[in-house]
Parts: sequence; structure tokens; C-alpha cells
Amino acid sequence: MARPAHPQAMQPVKPGRTRTAPPTMPPQFPMTGRYRAYTLFDATGFLYLFVGFVALRVVWALGTGSAAWASIQQQLANPLYIGFHVITLAAVCFVAVRFFGLFPKAQPPRIGPAKPPPGPVIVGMLYAAWIGITVLMSAALMGGIS
Amino acid sequence: MSDPPKKTFVITRFDPDVDEVPKTQSYEIAVDPDWKVLDAVNYIKDEVDGTLSHRWSCRMAVCGSCGMMVNGEPRLTCKDSVSQYGDTVEITPLSNFPVIRDLVVDMDGFMDKFKKVKPWIIRAKELAAEDGPVRQSPEELEEFKQFSMCINCMLCYSACPVVSNEPEFLGPAAIALGHRYNVDSRDEGASERNAIFRGEGTVFSCSFANECSEVCPKNVDPAAAVNQAKFNAVIDWATGLVLPSGEKE
Repeated sequence: MARPAHPQAMQPVKPGRTRTAPPTMPPQFPMTGRYRAYTLFDATGFLYLFVGFVALRVVWALGTGSAAWASIQQQLANPLYIGFHVITLAAVCFVAVRFFGLFPKAQPPRIGPAKPPPGPVIVGMLYAAWIGITVLMSAALMGGIS
Repeated sequence: MSDPPKKTFVITRFDPDVDEVPKTQSYEIAVDPDWKVLDAVNYIKDEVDGTLSHRWSCRMAVCGSCGMMVNGEPRLTCKDSVSQYGDTVEITPLSNFPVIRDLVVDMDGFMDKFKKVKPWIIRAKELAAEDGPVRQSPEELEEFKQFSMCINCMLCYSACPVVSNEPEFLGPAAIALGHRYNVDSRDEGASERNAIFRGEGTVFSCSFANECSEVCPKNVDPAAAVNQAKFNAVIDWATGLVLPSGEKE
């Protein structure tokens, strides 16, 4: 049986004369069928929240001194931290792929006189930008760009 | 000649005079493989149980009356063949709507939302008849044509998780229709509608589940309309800040 929706969902402003059964949510929501991808997409927000806390901790350690910095680096080498970051990376990739697929829909038919390029071109540009930035950042982190 | 295959239809029943909550009732019937799901429901109504209530009209995916949940998905039952489903087919009224009786949902809430978006052409000044019609190029028509193909079947509302949780949300079809007029070159009422779109719990409540577009039987793509409407509503707001007296264009 589907879960109940908000009792006021799709209720008319002026109630009808007959008693009605309350609205129910779509039966597949939130974790079955296509809703699963949507729910996971939104749930990745929790991971980003935790990543934010980790980043704040790292910045705090950096500002505190070399001992704190060495300590935080040692902590980040812990397999649990590494596992967390691998999961976060997978979540970022998942969100990017879903977002890139939906992004062309959100483009207005025109911005002033300019019309956006066709959907596949927009998606291609997004992937190109993603790959380009990833290559640049990887090169910088590996010391190729100083 | 072999007997026609049998299928069991598990249908949600609700009689407001008797039932506290909806219940299910099963009907095992022989089905013609060429039948649509609506044909099976009509057969049950005509030959098995005359007390079953449901809506239908055109039988050709134009009127939008026969939307129901079939095996958990909002479907236009005159479009789906019975043969695409297994031996058991579960039919329930559209999700997210109050149920009046059996498979009949209360559409008045939908009509209330519809009226809010002013779904008509608004002109700052009406042209005199002798001025002739307002001309529109094929390119201008193309910008909104897709959104004008909606048949108000309400499947998009039934699939939307935001509609389930936020009663104020205008919903996919109403926003798509408002957006359809906003991008119509003959219309001059976009600012009025954008103010409604920016109001409490409206376009920005959409979290882009995209389910409305997935279930739309006419490929209207309401998710595109809602998200384009978000963009236009923000631009309209920003333009209002920059230009004096709300002058635009």
C-alpha cells in the first residue's frame, strides 16, 4: 500500500460535497523504479555536508601549525577516510552524469537574441569542461603545473 | 481454437458512503490480446461488476480522462495494451489526488491551480479588429508548441514527489501551461505569471525528479517547462530590479 501523501495535496480550495479518500504518494516513491536514482541524487547532499566538515577541519589544521597538519594528513590516510572519499567521488560522478543529462532541458528557448545550442552539444560541452578541469587539476596536483 | 488468456485485475475500490479507507477487489477475466487496459476495465464494468466507477471518453489518448495507476505507474489506460502486462494487473486511482470513488479522483484542486497561472493570452492593449491578426512565425510557434500539446491527463501530478509533499506547489501541467503563454510571442503577460511562479511554494519547489516528463503520454516534457520557467522567473525579477518602474523590453 502506498504511503499517505500530504493530506492537503491536490485538495480543492472549496471542498466538494462528498467525502474523499486521502491522497497517497506514488507507490514506487522513494526507492523503487526511476525514483531510486532521484532519491540517491538528493541523498548525496549528506555526503557533501560531511565533506564540508572534513574540509573545514583540514583548513583549521593548516592554520594551526605543522604538527596539526601532519596529524590531519595521517588521519586522512586511514582506510575509513579513503573509503569515504571513494564513495564521495562515486557520488559526484553519479550526480554529474544525471545533472548533465537533465541540464539541456532547463535551457530557455532563447536568451535575448541568442538561442542555446542543441541538447547533445550542451551535454558534450559539459563533459568536455569536466574532463578538461579534471586533467588540469590532476596535472597541478602531480606537480606538472607549478 | 484455444481459450483467450485470463488475467487478474486487482482494482482499488472506495465507496465514500460505506468504506473508511480504500480496499482492493480482484477480477479474473478472459482478455483479448488486442485489448487496451481501458477495454479490460470497461469489460469488468459492463459484464462483471456494474458498481465499478472510472472515467474515460475518447479511447484515443486525446481527452486525458482515463489516467490511472497501472502496476504502480501513472498510465493512460487507453494507450497501454493488456498484453504488455503480466498475469496480474494492479489498477489504482491516480496518486496524489483525493479519491471520490473507486478509480475516480477529485480534479478540482488541479483546476484551481490551472486558473492561477492565467492560461490565456494577455495583451497590454488589445488590437482593433481592423489592425488584423497578430502574426507569428513558424520559429516563434515552435518555442511553445510542445507545451501546448498537454491533454490535462494529470499523470504528471500523479508522478511528482513534490506534489505529494507541498500542497502549494502549482505542479507540472499548470506551470507548463503558464510557461507556454510566457514564451508565446503574442503574449504580454509574462511578468504577471512570473510573479505567480516566484510566489510561495511554486516553481522553485521543483527538485527536478523529471518523473513528470517520463510519464507524459504526449511528450510535452513538463520538467523542461518548469525549469525554464524558473530561469525566466529569476531573469524577470532581476530585470525588475534594474529597470525603473518595472519597465521591460
